[in-house]
Amino acid sequence: MSRGSEKTDESPKWMNFRSLLVFSMFLRVFLIIYGEWQDAHMEVRYTDVDYMVFSDAASLMASGESPYKRTTYRYSPLLAFILIPNSIIHRSWGKFLFSASDLLVGWFIHKILKQRNVPEKICTYSVMVWLFNPFTFTIGTRGNCEPLVCAMVLWIIISLMKGNLSQAAFWYGLVVHFRVYPIIYALPIILVLDSQIFRSGQKPPLEDWNTGKAKTTTSNTEKKPLHFNLLTALKSLFSRERIMFALISGGVFLACNAISFYFYGHEFLHEALLYHLTRTDPRHNFSIYFYHIYLHYERQFSAVEKLISFLPQFTVQFALVFCFYQDLVFCIFLQTVAFVAFNKVITAQYFVWFYCLLPLILPWSRMKLKWEGLLCIIIWIGAQTHWLLWGYMLEFKGVNVFLKLWMASLLFLAANTFVLVKIIQRHQFSPLFRRFRSLSPKM
Amino acid sequence: MATQRQSSVISLIFIYCAISSTSSSQVGTNYGHSDEISNSDHNPSLCISDQYIMQSYFTTHTSLNDSEFENFLLLQQCSDKIDQNIVPAISSLLQHRRNITGEGSHRNLITSIKLLLQSESQFNELVIVERLPLGVFADPFELQSLQQRKVFSDVSVFGDTNLELPSFRSNRSVVEIHVDMSSRDYEHGEISLKLPLHARYQPLHDSGYSRVEFGEPDLFLCSSHLPNQGHEQRRCLVLSIGGLKTEAISVFWDIPAGIRDHTEYVSAFTFAAAVLSAFSILVVSVLSSKVESCKNSKQS
Repeated sequence: MSRGSEKTDESPKWMNFRSLLVFSMFLRVFLIIYGEWQDAHMEVRYTDVDYMVFSDAASLMASGESPYKRTTYRYSPLLAFILIPNSIIHRSWGKFLFSASDLLVGWFIHKILKQRNVPEKICTYSVMVWLFNPFTFTIGTRGNCEPLVCAMVLWIIISLMKGNLSQAAFWYGLVVHFRVYPIIYALPIILVLDSQIFRSGQKPPLEDWNTGKAKTTTSNTEKKPLHFNLLTALKSLFSRERIMFALISGGVFLACNAISFYFYGHEFLHEALLYHLTRTDPRHNFSIYFYHIYLHYERQFSAVEKLISFLPQFTVQFALVFCFYQDLVFCIFLQTVAFVAFNKVITAQYFVWFYCLLPLILPWSRMKLKWEGLLCIIIWIGAQTHWLLWGYMLEFKGVNVFLKLWMASLLFLAANTFVLVKIIQRHQFSPLFRRFRSLSPKM
Repeated sequence: MATQRQSSVISLIFIYCAISSTSSSQVGTNYGHSDEISNSDHNPSLCISDQYIMQSYFTTHTSLNDSEFENFLLLQQCSDKIDQNIVPAISSLLQHRRNITGEGSHRNLITSIKLLLQSESQFNELVIVERLPLGVFADPFELQSLQQRKVFSDVSVFGDTNLELPSFRSNRSVVEIHVDMSSRDYEHGEISLKLPLHARYQPLHDSGYSRVEFGEPDLFLCSSHLPNQGHEQRRCLVLSIGGLKTEAISVFWDIPAGIRDHTEYVSAFTFAAAVLSAFSILVVSVLSSKVESCKNSKQS
């Protein structure tokens, strides 16, 4: 997707965004209908087990009971609430909702890229990376709710791009309540809310794709006395925009939790929040930590051990934020990939969290599909497939391959690291926002 | 005829545990069998006011214990003697199998019971209580969907239904299956039950496998449960009390388990890998952002 390979010729008509969206919509409708057929006629169900959990929780809520009576329901009551029509209209209501969110993500990707003046052809290819990703179109049609979260995250980016901070803050508070992981985006968002960029009543200037030069907002050739820099730094740290964003998003988050707690008490706190913050699952998953956790599960980990195991994650997150926060979309993409890779538990559904951000960074990548891009894809998918083969031996053949499976997860971490490093090296750094030019005389 | 019927209330129930080898070498092979003959003049019968026999056990107990369960059954015995006229004559027949089929962490416990009722009676529901060993569990939602597909007339899981905990952090569970004898169209009185089970993560074991052994099910013949009758009691004739047989080799399932000797180097290499990856990403990030800063300085 490098600018060097951009061509000015028109794409075929069938490849325009509208056609792609319509085709994607029909594909998803077909898959939902097919899924219903498969569930009724085949032993292996198309529908995700999680969808059953959501639906059961929703029907409990519809009959006035707690959705947390459904074991393994570990989500906000909001999710059960929006799925109440599953019991009233049709059990596929949720699938249609999630698939619609999936299409909305495609539309948001297109919108974000157009806002930054990315050429139409590159926009279309980027959108296709989401809409035609087999993982993407199966996840919503199988009844997984992650497309809803992805749509909210992209809407937050759009709101920030429009300068609509209150709206961005509202949705940010809501999405963190809904799914805890977006909390990792708090720091880069706060850092990017520079008063030199966001001014009341004005849309922040965007750094668009056509601008060949990437200006960093950290470069500052002005020399100021140290005490003045610290004072300015403190003043800008607690700028009006940052305080407002923090208060609104924090307020929405707390309000949602308070309402949920009012209705469902400690069950909600434990299942929907604390579980995700403290989750350590000894069962096999992609994480390098699974076997370590299993081998130690008979005894509890000490606080020091827990802290040490969290350090790599912590270090990587901070490094990525402070190096790349100005290129906000790129930063949150890297953060998400790293967050998933270093997490104590990794399941395949977490990959959607960064799949929705990948199309947004591709137009700024110097990586060509042939052959560096393909190499990254093959290495990443290959490492996953390797892990799945050992997982199959363990779970479906009953052979003790714990050690080999753990090694496969180490290999998967290595693959994630390799791909991350390549993406960073090949990225054309481009801040999302430009600073307003200062009219005050230089000191 | 009536006299014969009265005297052979619970005459013979044979549940053979003749187990043949399956394709998996991890499945227990058992060529022993157990006979449970209860042929007494006063027929042990339970008076149950709940829909399920196990329901009231778990209102007074937090976990399953075999000896407590047997005491519980004693306490549930009806105080009055059963009217022999209403008890059906039962004849039991040939040996059948009880085994574990399938591979991996998801298998089926197969139980075949041959039961012929010589006449229609109010005792038309066969209740099978499967006291599962620690180390395996049944998914209540999976069983519900089987019930919806009419595989069982009723089924419920009691005890520890947490699907995620390893066996050393969980308690035992019990599956109670109801089979409607009156409407059941079965050939020669044979009932074959296929109970899907899933393995929990096992305690660490030097051999790399942990053996889970299955005992015999408890069998009861009950009168129908009438949901609208509130506290109306129904009677259940005790056909067989199972539990784990020590004198015969029971059905078993060898489940992969972690090996304690792996602990130190797995932990060491896990953290080394995490640190190395984190360091790589840190170095590349810092270098890349420095390169961009230099470029921007030159351009400005």
